[in-house]
Amino acid sequence: MLLQISEPGESAAKAACKQRVVGIDLGTTNSLVAVVADGSPGVLGGDGGPIVPSVVSYDGPQPLVGRAAIARGERHAVDTVASVKRLMGRALGDVGAVVALSPNQLVDDAGRMVKVRFSDGAERSPVQVSAAILAELKARAEAALGGPLDGAVITVPAYFDDAQRQATRDAGRLAGLEVLRLLAEPTAAALAYGLDRGTRGTYAIYDLGGGTFDISILTLVDGVFEVRATGGDSALGGDDLDRAIVGAVIGDAGFASADAQGIRAAVAEARAAKERLTDADATAVRMVVAGRVFERTLTRAELAAIVAPLLERTAKACRRALKDAGFTAAELDGVVLVGGSTRSPVVRDFVRAQFDREPMCELDPEEVVALGAAVQADVLAGGTSDVVLLDVVPLSLGLETMGGVVEKLIVRNSTIPCGATQTFTTYADNQTGFDLHVLQGERETVEACRSLARFQLRGVPPMVAGAARVEITFQVDADGILHVAARELTSGIAAAIDVTPSYGLTDEEVERMLIESFEHAEDDLAARNLRIERVEAERILAATRAAMVSDAHLLDDDVRVATDAAIAVLEAAHAGADYLAIRAAVEALDRASKPFAERRMNLAITAAMAGKRLATVEEELSR
Amino acid sequence: MATETSTPDPFAVLGLEPRFDLERQALEERFRERSREVHPDRFVGAPAAARTQALISTRALNDAYQVLRHPQRRAEVLLAQHGVVIGDREVLEPAFLAEILELREELADARVAGDLATVTRLAGVMRARQRALLDQVAAQFARVAAGATDALAAIKRDLITLRYVDRYLDECDAATDDE
Repeated sequence: MLLQISEPGESAAKAACKQRVVGIDLGTTNSLVAVVADGSPGVLGGDGGPIVPSVVSYDGPQPLVGRAAIARGERHAVDTVASVKRLMGRALGDVGAVVALSPNQLVDDAGRMVKVRFSDGAERSPVQVSAAILAELKARAEAALGGPLDGAVITVPAYFDDAQRQATRDAGRLAGLEVLRLLAEPTAAALAYGLDRGTRGTYAIYDLGGGTFDISILTLVDGVFEVRATGGDSALGGDDLDRAIVGAVIGDAGFASADAQGIRAAVAEARAAKERLTDADATAVRMVVAGRVFERTLTRAELAAIVAPLLERTAKACRRALKDAGFTAAELDGVVLVGGSTRSPVVRDFVRAQFDREPMCELDPEEVVALGAAVQADVLAGGTSDVVLLDVVPLSLGLETMGGVVEKLIVRNSTIPCGATQTFTTYADNQTGFDLHVLQGERETVEACRSLARFQLRGVPPMVAGAARVEITFQVDADGILHVAARELTSGIAAAIDVTPSYGLTDEEVERMLIESFEHAEDDLAARNLRIERVEAERILAATRAAMVSDAHLLDDDVRVATDAAIAVLEAAHAGADYLAIRAAVEALDRASKPFAERRMNLAITAAMAGKRLATVEEELSR
Repeated sequence: MATETSTPDPFAVLGLEPRFDLERQALEERFRERSREVHPDRFVGAPAAARTQALISTRALNDAYQVLRHPQRRAEVLLAQHGVVIGDREVLEPAFLAEILELREELADARVAGDLATVTRLAGVMRARQRALLDQVAAQFARVAAGATDALAAIKRDLITLRYVDRYLDECDAATDDE
């Protein structure tokens, strides 16, 4: 860990060169890409408008995406994947309801992330399918902007847990995107609205998309967007409304005889009927499933009754979010509608009744998330710098303790990035290892929470029970992704940690997929990795040397010796062609210089927090 | 067993004078000001080291804010600054323990029976108690400020009691989430 102290404000100048960055709304049903041009965000169009349906159809190695995939799906339902977002970061056991109605063959991968099996026998993970959608959006943006992208902000439902966020980031990497930030969809929507009007106040963002529901309470003050609370249901959206309509029309008997093709057509007809009811009070519905014809007239009131139980689930999440944020519905300054499903008058009536006010919908609810993501991408690329987003952890993070109870280290709605450290002691004599189980969720028991990862901490020296102390550190980064570290405090011996993500992909897996997807460009990939690692090595070498000169008084002799040695190793690796060796050497240098970096860091924090320039503090310390 | 590891002084991180009766608005404003200065969003184009620094500073800031906006945790920090630490195995009067045990049984029964009205009533009673205890803590801190160090022991006892109260309210929340 290295430190280059810079005064706030310096960064803007450094990033002045304008980059090609975009905002991507990777939706359950539809995806969009947007960019800020001349200070205002706009969606990038293509054949058939800005919306790319989130549908991928595989015919050999090259997938079709969007409308072409939908067209192919009519004849090849099994090889066509829709609503893949609902599978992201999920095991087969988690997606029961989706499986029941999915025309795809979903297969278990030893309890890890579910895979889709295609008719040619190939199995692909939801990450790969999502990456195909992202690659399509990337290509569209690059064509529009006339060159390769420098980075993208990808939105995720605020309620996405760690596994789902990781899967999304992995999909971005797999699509060859530099993911600048994962941004919560409601926050993106607020950003799109807030900048347009320079508002100040507290808003609820009601986001009912194709497959997810989010509710967030945000406070906007002087360019700071603070998420006060967030909640929702990552498996509830317009798709469910459509399926509820299908259920009401064809009944249990219809389902029993349904085939993949029939269900797909029926769901499409349900969606069309729902859309027709936006303007009409009643519409004729006709579904043909396995040769049987189901016909009826559907009124708007009947639609409201059909979807009422689903909307009531959103109301419950709204009440909890308001409670968490410490606001009542009456205290809000507005309610913003986001997501294609909020076009429906049935949904609007419901929101109006819940919050007792007219909801805001000036911006297109289907575009607003992508627009906000573009704004944030522009902010991050240095276009503007007076906006700060303070997002939160949507679900508490904790560890399993004795008796299957979850001990929360980070509570939900903590502002990110954040961290927590807790020390555990051994419970048996001569215990040499710890099994650590990381969980996410609000319930007290392990079974009711989501398993994120299992760690093994080994190499603890044998001692009597309670003598060995293990410090566990949770850190959540600005993307909302958790990093866990563990170390044994009494021994001073570095203990080994094995990480087995329960749902996410390991780095090796992402790497392997990357290699597979660039099968004919393996050498290019290695070369690219080598270039990246070399640049990073050069940066770290320069920064370390500069720091060793400027802050020599903070450098102990033994740390200096270790750092010098690590520098020599890194220089040797840098001259070679093995990017993994360079990466390892960079990490080794980080470790060697850590005590030094920490001293500089503490000094810097003291300085930053006291609002003084660093030089002043150093002066005071050296007196 | 888990024990909390000491963290840097959250008041210092936010540049606030250590005191219990913190104005919520003042705290929030200071937090926003500091966030604007150190947040990683402001350092995206900066060198890796500066970005790391921004991440670390912001994490420290957010963690401090999380502590200070929670009255009990704020009180525990202040108490620790006076050298009084609440351990893992603190003992309370048997009468209180018996009472809370009984209340928990009542809550568990209501939860099993799906009796939300009773859960809400029990939560209301406990919330009133939480408010009363916090008022008491505030009053005792005022005495500490005036030099009455004997008030520290009373604060400690109230804070331990509040841990039980919080735990109870968590269970009430879990019960309402069952609905």
